[in-house]
Amino acid sequence: MDINWIKILGLIVTVVMAFFTGALYGGLARVVTARIQNRFGPPALQNLFDIIKLYSKKTSINHGWMQHLGPVWAITASTTTLLFIPILRDSTFFTNLSFDGDLIFLMYIMVFGSLGMALGAGQTGNPNSAIGVSRGLSQLVGYKVPFILSLVALMIQFQTTNLNDLLAVQDSFIHWNIFQSPFAFLAGILAFLGMMGYKPFDIVFAPAEIASGPPSEFGSKYLGMMLTSRSIFTFAKLVLFVNIFFGGADNIFILLIKTFLLYMIPLLIGIVNPRFRTEQAVRFFWGFPTAFGIIAVILAAW
Amino acid sequence: MTSITGILGITFGAALLTFLLHHLVPKLRNIVAILAVGATGYIAWQMPIDSYMTHFTIGSFDIIWGNSEYSKLFALLISVLGFFALIYSHDFMAGKKRLGYYYMNFLIAIGSMYGIVYSQDLISLFFFWEIMTWSSFLLIIYCCKDSQQVGLKYFIFSAIGAYSILIALVLIYANLGSVTFIKVFAQFGSMSFEVQLSSVILLLIGFGVKSAIMPLHVWAPKSYAISPSPFTAVFSGALSKMGVFGIGIVLFKLASQGGYYIYVKEILAWIGGITALLATFYAVFQTDAKKLLAYSSVGQLGYIVVGLAIGTPLSIMAALFLAVLHAAFKGALFLATGAVYHRTGTTDMNEVSGLVRKMPYTFLTALMGIIAVSGVPPLGGFAGKWMLYQSLIESDHYFLVIVVFASSTAAFLYLYRYIFSLFLGQEEKEFEDVKEVSWLMRIPMLTLVIFTLVVGVAPGLLLEPISGAMGYLGVGATQFETTVIWNAWGNKIDMFTIMNSIGILFGIAFVFITVKGFKSGRYVTTKDIHTSGEVPTENENLTYAVDFYKPFERALGWVLKPSVDKFYNKIATNLEHAFDHLRYIYTGNGQTYAMYVVIFLVILIAFSELIFGVKL
Repeated sequence: MDINWIKILGLIVTVVMAFFTGALYGGLARVVTARIQNRFGPPALQNLFDIIKLYSKKTSINHGWMQHLGPVWAITASTTTLLFIPILRDSTFFTNLSFDGDLIFLMYIMVFGSLGMALGAGQTGNPNSAIGVSRGLSQLVGYKVPFILSLVALMIQFQTTNLNDLLAVQDSFIHWNIFQSPFAFLAGILAFLGMMGYKPFDIVFAPAEIASGPPSEFGSKYLGMMLTSRSIFTFAKLVLFVNIFFGGADNIFILLIKTFLLYMIPLLIGIVNPRFRTEQAVRFFWGFPTAFGIIAVILAAW
Repeated sequence: MTSITGILGITFGAALLTFLLHHLVPKLRNIVAILAVGATGYIAWQMPIDSYMTHFTIGSFDIIWGNSEYSKLFALLISVLGFFALIYSHDFMAGKKRLGYYYMNFLIAIGSMYGIVYSQDLISLFFFWEIMTWSSFLLIIYCCKDSQQVGLKYFIFSAIGAYSILIALVLIYANLGSVTFIKVFAQFGSMSFEVQLSSVILLLIGFGVKSAIMPLHVWAPKSYAISPSPFTAVFSGALSKMGVFGIGIVLFKLASQGGYYIYVKEILAWIGGITALLATFYAVFQTDAKKLLAYSSVGQLGYIVVGLAIGTPLSIMAALFLAVLHAAFKGALFLATGAVYHRTGTTDMNEVSGLVRKMPYTFLTALMGIIAVSGVPPLGGFAGKWMLYQSLIESDHYFLVIVVFASSTAAFLYLYRYIFSLFLGQEEKEFEDVKEVSWLMRIPMLTLVIFTLVVGVAPGLLLEPISGAMGYLGVGATQFETTVIWNAWGNKIDMFTIMNSIGILFGIAFVFITVKGFKSGRYVTTKDIHTSGEVPTENENLTYAVDFYKPFERALGWVLKPSVDKFYNKIATNLEHAFDHLRYIYTGNGQTYAMYVVIFLVILIAFSELIFGVKL
């Protein structure tokens, strides 16, 4: 087997870019939130500085192997998710490892990281972590239903489970899937709100109530790795949604604009909304978003 | 003795031998059992494909035993799982009472399963089916006195299933004059529509009971929970697969000959999908680990039935793949739960917690087991789920795929609860001295989960024999290579790339965090945590396990309220009341009976003219 070095370089660049972009978006989110609340807020690069600082720290305690592996597991899953998403359309450098029929794979690998983190948090024995995980998994079942509905609608509409094929059909602005199947978009974007974990769906981490929940026992390098993983994962999810509904991107610049605008949706909704309880969140997802998804599937099957 | 008679002779002979040895040389008993199943496994592996291997007549019935690719797949599944469960039994059952009884019934159960898969006629299928029911019933009531109620329920449902099969058998015999598979398969379509449909439905009910399809599942949770753990692994892994074996034959050899085929398939597929969803929801709220796994088994068998019922090549491949894999991972999980029970004496998830550092190997088994069940790559569950979803989508079952996917996602809930409650969380003082189980118990569990890993990376290894089995069912397999599977749209999945990617990334991240992180660290107890400034006292309970998914329960609301079990119980109570009234007649008092005789005679005399035409 000959090794394609260009491709491997592409992979590394993708991961590094995803990390910096994700961290930057996180910082910008804090700035935007602060401005809306009439504060100044931290500098936009604050998240990046935090992560670098955390990596330079040494940890003096651990809770055992599972807690040790939790962040490793999380970062593996988020990076794998990213690597199996084509970042740019028709690019040899940035197609990454994406293969035919990868949408179902992506749906599963996206859960892999949460599972790893949940297991790591479980070993610490902190009741707050367990409460957070219980809420997180419940919410997961909530938003997965509209998400899968919107994906199935697209799959049957275009007779493919391949992300590259979905990109290929969105060849011009009016062919974007947001216009081709608006109901699938509605279901997908509402599920996306839950996926991003901003308010009103942030009861999983609820800082003031359960001390950030799952990551509460993780410090130093562990926390650094978790935040890295989160940054990469945020970017991966954004690129995925841009690819599915907004026609992908031809170059990095357009990709950044599209992902940033998409990122603003859950953020701005979150800033002006209070938090849902878990059962309210689950019921929300099984209400209108699921209804939109069912309409989308019926329309696509027609 | 490379023949079916050899296999049956060895298992049933060994069953008797273990019972005798129990009283003579108890040490040999376990070894004989293990060797017998190992030897039969080897014979099953070597046996040539021959559908007419052993043949004799009883009365006017032709009894035929033969080996097909389909039989071979299931025979190997039985022998491998049975072999590991018996090795595990050696230490797990040590010191328990009535071991002769246990081993004898275990071997009879395995022998009868062999008989079922090798049967080439309905009579011997029914015969072995009944033996299987009896032996598994005797193992369910092995443990204790409360088990009789549970065993009774199992037995009633099995009897319903068995009579369904028997009636179908009689129907077929009355119409075709033969019950050999060759003749039945060839001429089934020539029978009248009503007979065909009713025998298909009756057979599906019969096989559906064993594979615990809703609404015939109510016996399963408690029976699984109460039977000894090594047998539960076989019970859920192999015995329930006999139902799948039968459903496969009924669907593709019999029902496919009639015009009602498409409706039977669709209805069965939806029953399977709803079974998967509801069983998963029930599993989420169980507090007993074995009951949780039992509901999970019901749900997983729902997927398998969905796959079989859809009936496209890819879906059948997915169903058989999941059937074999389910035996491995659910077997491993039941064995791991058994290990916890062996050391702590309970499987109540509200009681046990924090065993991960005491039982690392059992934890590893459970961890890989739950990953395989959940269908997360790179373990085997993913390849099976991928095939199932692809086949559902490409065969236009859009809403069924949503149901199946929702249940698969909800499965994360109970799987996390299972592993968190037993192994993670607070370390309790009560379980301070718990030790890891012996290697004889670890090896079977670990081998089973390693199998799921191997099959996950190279699903082609398992798909090879499965495509042979599909040939017997008359369906061609779809395109696959050792690590790559294609769907009908030409989309594919490459497990090797996925595994490499995950492996490399995991390796890099692991080395990075371990080199400077782990060794310098000091291990702290689970009481030494962030509690916002409050210092927890020695005996303060910080475990979060009771009502773990209360919010989710609230979100589901009324969905879980209706229960088939309660419905059946109501029927049972009403029948009991009805029979109570009968006791006014059958009082058991001699004088009453004497009075009945007198009344009877009086009636005879009074109405003699009406009855006999003569006045007495």
